[in-house]
Amino acid sequence: MEALIGLGQGFAVALQPMNLFWCFIGVFLGTVIGVLPGLGPAATIAMLLPLTFNMPPTSAVIMLAGIYYGAKYGGSTTAILLNVPGESASVVTCLDGYQMARKGRGGAALGIAAISSFVAGTFGVLGLMLLAPPLAKFALTFSSPEYFALMSLGLAMVVLLAGASMVKALLAMLVGLWIASMGIDLFSDSARFTFGTAHLLDGIDFVVVAIGVFALGEVLGNMEKRGEGTLLPVPKGLRNLLPTMAELKACRFAFVNGSVIGFLIGVLPGAGSTIASFISYGVEKAMSKHPEKFGTGVPEGVAAPEGANNSETGGSLVPLLTLGIPGSGTTAILLAAFILWGLRPGPLMIQDNPELFWGLVASMYVGNVMLLVLNLPLIPLFAQILKVREYLLYPIIFGISLVGVYTVSGSIFDCVLLALFGLLGYLMRRLDYPSAPLILGLVLGNLMERALRQSLMMSNGDMSIFVSRPISATMLFLAVVLLCLPLFRKFNSLRIKAIEENG
Amino acid sequence: MKLRSSIIIAACAAALAAAPAWAQFKPTKPVEFIVHTGPGGGADVLARFISQVFEKENLAPVRFQVSNRDGGGGLRAMAYVAEKKGDTHAIAVFTGNWLTNPLTRAEAKYTIKDMTPVVRLVLEPALIAVKADAPHKTLKDFIDEAKAKPKTLKQSGGSITSRDNVVRQLLMKATGADWAYISFPGGGERIAALLGGHVNMMVVEPQEAGEHIKAGNMRVIAQVSDKRLAGFPNVPTIQEAGFNIPNVEQVRGIVMPTGVAPDVIAYYEDLFQRLTKTATWRKYLDDQQFQDGYMKSAELAKYFDVFTDQMRDILTEAGAKVVR
Repeated sequence: MEALIGLGQGFAVALQPMNLFWCFIGVFLGTVIGVLPGLGPAATIAMLLPLTFNMPPTSAVIMLAGIYYGAKYGGSTTAILLNVPGESASVVTCLDGYQMARKGRGGAALGIAAISSFVAGTFGVLGLMLLAPPLAKFALTFSSPEYFALMSLGLAMVVLLAGASMVKALLAMLVGLWIASMGIDLFSDSARFTFGTAHLLDGIDFVVVAIGVFALGEVLGNMEKRGEGTLLPVPKGLRNLLPTMAELKACRFAFVNGSVIGFLIGVLPGAGSTIASFISYGVEKAMSKHPEKFGTGVPEGVAAPEGANNSETGGSLVPLLTLGIPGSGTTAILLAAFILWGLRPGPLMIQDNPELFWGLVASMYVGNVMLLVLNLPLIPLFAQILKVREYLLYPIIFGISLVGVYTVSGSIFDCVLLALFGLLGYLMRRLDYPSAPLILGLVLGNLMERALRQSLMMSNGDMSIFVSRPISATMLFLAVVLLCLPLFRKFNSLRIKAIEENG
Repeated sequence: MKLRSSIIIAACAAALAAAPAWAQFKPTKPVEFIVHTGPGGGADVLARFISQVFEKENLAPVRFQVSNRDGGGGLRAMAYVAEKKGDTHAIAVFTGNWLTNPLTRAEAKYTIKDMTPVVRLVLEPALIAVKADAPHKTLKDFIDEAKAKPKTLKQSGGSITSRDNVVRQLLMKATGADWAYISFPGGGERIAALLGGHVNMMVVEPQEAGEHIKAGNMRVIAQVSDKRLAGFPNVPTIQEAGFNIPNVEQVRGIVMPTGVAPDVIAYYEDLFQRLTKTATWRKYLDDQQFQDGYMKSAELAKYFDVFTDQMRDILTEAGAKVVR
């Protein structure tokens, strides 16, 4: 009831013409930077921050938050159309989204991404509104051992991302884990695998690897098939550009799964939207009746990670607004912004600044509707990209990738790395190594290692800390089950074979 | 005669006093304002705020353009500044990391000695906090328990070269107590670990802790500061609590490339002095609970030496590999 009163108050704030305007500016900017690879919401918010000093804080926070969740809508566009992840969390969307585009369902994939983003984004706000204080308490019970277990569970997803060969998938994952270990080690302050160069002290940026392996690898691979001259089919007519009822129906569970998983992982400071999208993709695949079709362009494979990615926004605002604890780079900058405006997010925020909190919540409902309205008509326009001929399209992808990587770091060294990872992606494609496990290892490696070492420091080296805590033990058990799953399947098929032969 | 000579002397004196005014440096194009973090990092937010104040208060004739040279744990920005030798239109925000990082990184090509100190701007004090329901009412309670049961208490903090750990090392050395130190990359995670009861103590920035103290989740048992902060008049500093250790300052200020004339340095010294007098800046310091640490170039050079020597000893003791 209290929430309803608050929400009413919030809508009164969010629907003021001024705030509607800033909300629109925010989500529009967010969409644009989401579409462009490289420039992410964190950098954009930081650069716009000085402009907001003269705005009322409520309008400012409405706009900056709009950039944050707007970017997540936009991120899927290049992932689906060009296999270039527009921001880190869209990597998983590449897996099935790009395959859908290759099958002529690019428009449908964009539509599903938009709808899933809307559903899950709204769910995330709902969760933020109703569950913020109790969930924040829950998030605090999570510590290093639980994070380690969560990361193990995530890493066990490799069995779901593997193609024909489990060995190749595991090898790719190990390479990802190795790359994750590069740079300065937080605990000993010593450099690892930096080959004596200061360029590698911060490790290798995830975006460089993802764009190299996915986008450049794909382009290089396709260039080999020159002469066949196959253009991606773009069906005519608006109806063919939108998802069919059957496709939407197939996504029913994915909408729910993405919403819930994204939100829950968002609440945990220190997990992040990339992990959320990987896990919800894994869950979707594990629960699916046709897991073998994942990676060939199934709509659920787009809906689940895109949903998780957007629902995560609402989740990540829970610890920010109720505890003052930022869980990601973007929320850290939002926190800096709050402090510069003289506000202090924390346990008393909702009480002390109800107008701001509820105004923000209400504006996120409004913003999600705006994004849907903004994005759906753009789909036919974006889909035209697929009509561009290869001799134009491939250089464009190269250009976008290079610019994208350069804008992240402003370093030529990273552009060289991009080329190397492009070659790696090409080789992996040629030799039939799946690239998703590599990315998975890279995303989780750092967090997992950190959590493992923190846990062991807490327990003075006693391994039992992982099984003596119920949440951690449960997740580790699930991870083991997940890892053993392929063995059972194999065993089962062998058994059936044996029975048939005997019979 | 006497009168005439004194008139001449007076005229000469006036001319001498006016002379620097003719030769005085003024920037003629936008100044590059280098920071070692990406957009949104601590130094970046500070630089953007400063250039905003310059503009709003009309303190400088040109724009100050923030330039993010992030990467290499701050070493990239340092190399960038050092290699701009003679550039009068480039300044950079330095932090304590600029002084300590080269000590432990063999990869560093330059140290703070390869730059011209301009001004010191802020000192960031810190608080030693425990969870509100912890049994430790004072720093002494905590230290006593850490002495009685070595290695059972835990502190959350940043990397082992961060201030959090330096304070711990100094306290452990002074008292013979022993507790564990667990590194977390982000400030948020450090607080979450404390509030969740997974660690027992942390060194926290006042503005980070403020709300948690008000909400009754956290208790401050000592301050890492020369004098008590306005917001915490009843909490003793470490020294007042009876622990005689040197104060560890978190420092931020401005450096620029070497090879610039004294009047250039004087210009920026003066510019930042005018900045520190504005109401906007005072309010910023109050909001962030920072201390005004304004210090001019000559003093700052000495400060760098003292700070670096102190850190070298502390880091060696903390078990970090010191390379220079």
